[in-house]
Order: sequence, then structure tokens, then C-alpha cells
Amino acid sequence: MADPPPLTTEEFSRLVEFLYRRTGMVFTEAKRYYVERRIAERMAAMSSPSFADYFVHLRGEERKEVEELINAFTVNETYFYREDYQLACLTTDLLDARVKTKRPGDAIRIWSAPCSTGEEPYSIAIWLLENWKDVDAYEIEIVGSDIDTDALEAAAEGIFGRRALMRLSPDLIARYFHQLDDERWQILDDLRQSVSFSRVNLIDTRQTRAQGGFDVIFCRNVLIYFDDESRRVAAENLYDNLLPGGFICLGHTESMSRISPLFEICRYSDAIVYRKPLELSA
Amino acid sequence: MTDTRKRILIIDDAALVRSYYRAALEAHDFRVEEALNGLEGLEKLLSQSFDLAIVDVNMPRMDGITFLKALRSKELPLSSLPVLVTSTEAGPQDMAAARSAGANYYLVKPIKQETLAEYAAIFCGSHP
Repeated sequence: MADPPPLTTEEFSRLVEFLYRRTGMVFTEAKRYYVERRIAERMAAMSSPSFADYFVHLRGEERKEVEELINAFTVNETYFYREDYQLACLTTDLLDARVKTKRPGDAIRIWSAPCSTGEEPYSIAIWLLENWKDVDAYEIEIVGSDIDTDALEAAAEGIFGRRALMRLSPDLIARYFHQLDDERWQILDDLRQSVSFSRVNLIDTRQTRAQGGFDVIFCRNVLIYFDDESRRVAAENLYDNLLPGGFICLGHTESMSRISPLFEICRYSDAIVYRKPLELSA
Repeated sequence: MTDTRKRILIIDDAALVRSYYRAALEAHDFRVEEALNGLEGLEKLLSQSFDLAIVDVNMPRMDGITFLKALRSKELPLSSLPVLVTSTEAGPQDMAAARSAGANYYLVKPIKQETLAEYAAIFCGSHP
């Protein structure tokens, strides 16, 4: 590919401001090369001769192109059983705490946001099948959400390469996937059906509210892309999406205490997680 | 070569539960088919032969009890198919309702994978 067109300082700041307002993600001058490469892709796809010409499409609120632009800037690099100590925590501690408030047959809702191309929500499903003795006793609903519609489409299809499966044993792969060719595996239909996918922007309160209340939320490695203000909005949205006593798991380098005082810190043997208090103080 | 494995139909609306039971049964060399509700279950039973049906009680479109009553009113040999009912309801009235609808046995969820495979073997006549 040809070298990306250098953006003027003003063009660069107009673009990152646009991205920030739409996604909460912050791109500084230090990320200029990353930004310019992606913009070059989009300009080529739109046959735009200049940034000014391309930006007209965005300013005109062309929904499709705004979506494509956001898709180009999201990071979808993940794999099955990533940070699996949190999955261990889910089945050793979190779910047991949640079912104390429930009757058999009740719903247990788990949210993977962002879910990227589906590795995380499907990992949760497989982990539950392998490690949770009550898996058939509750109505388990796993929801995967992301801002990137291409990623969601891939997630629903459930086809993965060798790299995504690198942490799974050959036995797990044989039991939960069927091999399409040398390099691609598709997750079994039952597992695909056990996860539902939706497009959600974590800083859009209207969109997050529509997802309803969850028992456990996995929100890993996304808040690091936000600035303080978007982080606070996202944290408050996530808080609203938790049932009282519900848990949220962040990435291992992230800390909710720096973002929001709303949550209690819970230290379990496998992981530190955050909880929405059961009794809400006035 | 013909496949001599016993055939089991799992009828449950929860995809994760079907997957869990399928894994348990396939590990013990049963052949497994799935249906998402009682109506689809009946349809499969009319078109293929099975050795056992494992059916959930609470399902949309047609629940397990209605399914059982419909199945038992069919002609032989279909009507005599062994049916194992699974449910999260553990009350005596729930078990009695399943029994009077024609259930051969009733297992309360959560069900251990080994337990399910053991009962499957008993009703398929393959228990050692």
C-alpha cells in the first residue's frame, strides 16, 4: 500500500475529535501513524482524493461510512480463554454468589462488552459447560456487544483461525468446533445459538440501557482507550446495567477504583472484581 | 457398516443445556439429535427412530408435559418410547404431573453428566 497521506495538524485534530465524540476513544499525536494508515484505507474505499473530501462524508452523517470508520479504528485482536483466571473466578465464586439470590430455572445474564469477534462470549459458554455444575439449572443468557459491526458479523458466524484457538486444548477444539479446512474452525451451532450479539457503544446510555440488567459483566481492555470523561460515563452505564450485587470484571491492568467510586472491590482467590452494592445507600 | 449406537433425542430450548447433555451422551457413545421444543421433538420422532427422548418441562411453543401427552396418544411403537423428563422444578406435584403424562423417569436439574449417561444407558437397554 502507498504511504498514507499526511494529515495537517488541523485535519488530524478534527478527525480525532470526531472519533472521540462517536466512540470515547482518544487518539493523540503519538498515534498519528496508526490514525493516518486507517484513514488512508477509508479514503481509498470511498475514492476520496483528499481528506477534506472524505470528511464531507462523515460530516454529512453518512451512517454507513461513520460505521466503517469506527470499525477501522477498533482493535479486534483476542483469543479464546484469554485471562482465564477471571473465568475461573466466575465459576468458583461469582456465580455461586449470584445464585444465592435466585431459584433454579431463573435467568443468569452475562454480558461480554466489548465482545470483538466473539472469542470472549464463546469462551464463557465453553468454560461454563466444562466447569460449572449448575449449567443446566439456570436459564443462562450470554450477550456479546461491540461497537464494530464487522466484528459482530464475524462473531455471529463463529469461524476462527489457529491463533484464536491457541489456548484451547486439542480435546476442547475437537468437542466444540468443527474444522472447515486447514486453518479455520467453526464453533458448534448450539454454542453459536447460546450467545446473542448486539451493537452497543458503551458511552451511549440509551444503547447500554436497552441491554437490561446483568449478573456479571466482562468489560476488558476497552476503558484504556477512553479518556477520563468517557471512562466515567462508561462506568456509570455499566453500573446501571448491573443487577444489585452483580459483578464486573475488567482487564488485568485496569482498575475501577481510579474511575468510579460506585463499585465495591471484591478480592477472590482467582481475581479481583468489582461489585454493585446489594443495598444501595441513599 | 450400520451404526449400532443407541439414538437419543434431546428436547430443550436452551442451547447451552443441549450442548451439555450432548457432550455427556456422546462421551458414552450415544448418537444424539436435538429439538428446540415439544413440537419439533414430535416432528423428529415421526420421521426418525429413537431409543430414548430426554425432555425439558418448561419450553416455549410446546412444553414437556404437553409433548408427553401427545406422544403417548400416538400409535405403537412410537407411543411406547421411553422418556426421561428433566426439570429445575423439584416439587412432588411437578413429578406427579410428569408421571401421569407418561414420563418414565424424572431427573431434577442440575444433573451430573455421569448421572444423565447412566440413566440413558438404563432406558436404552445398554446398561451393563
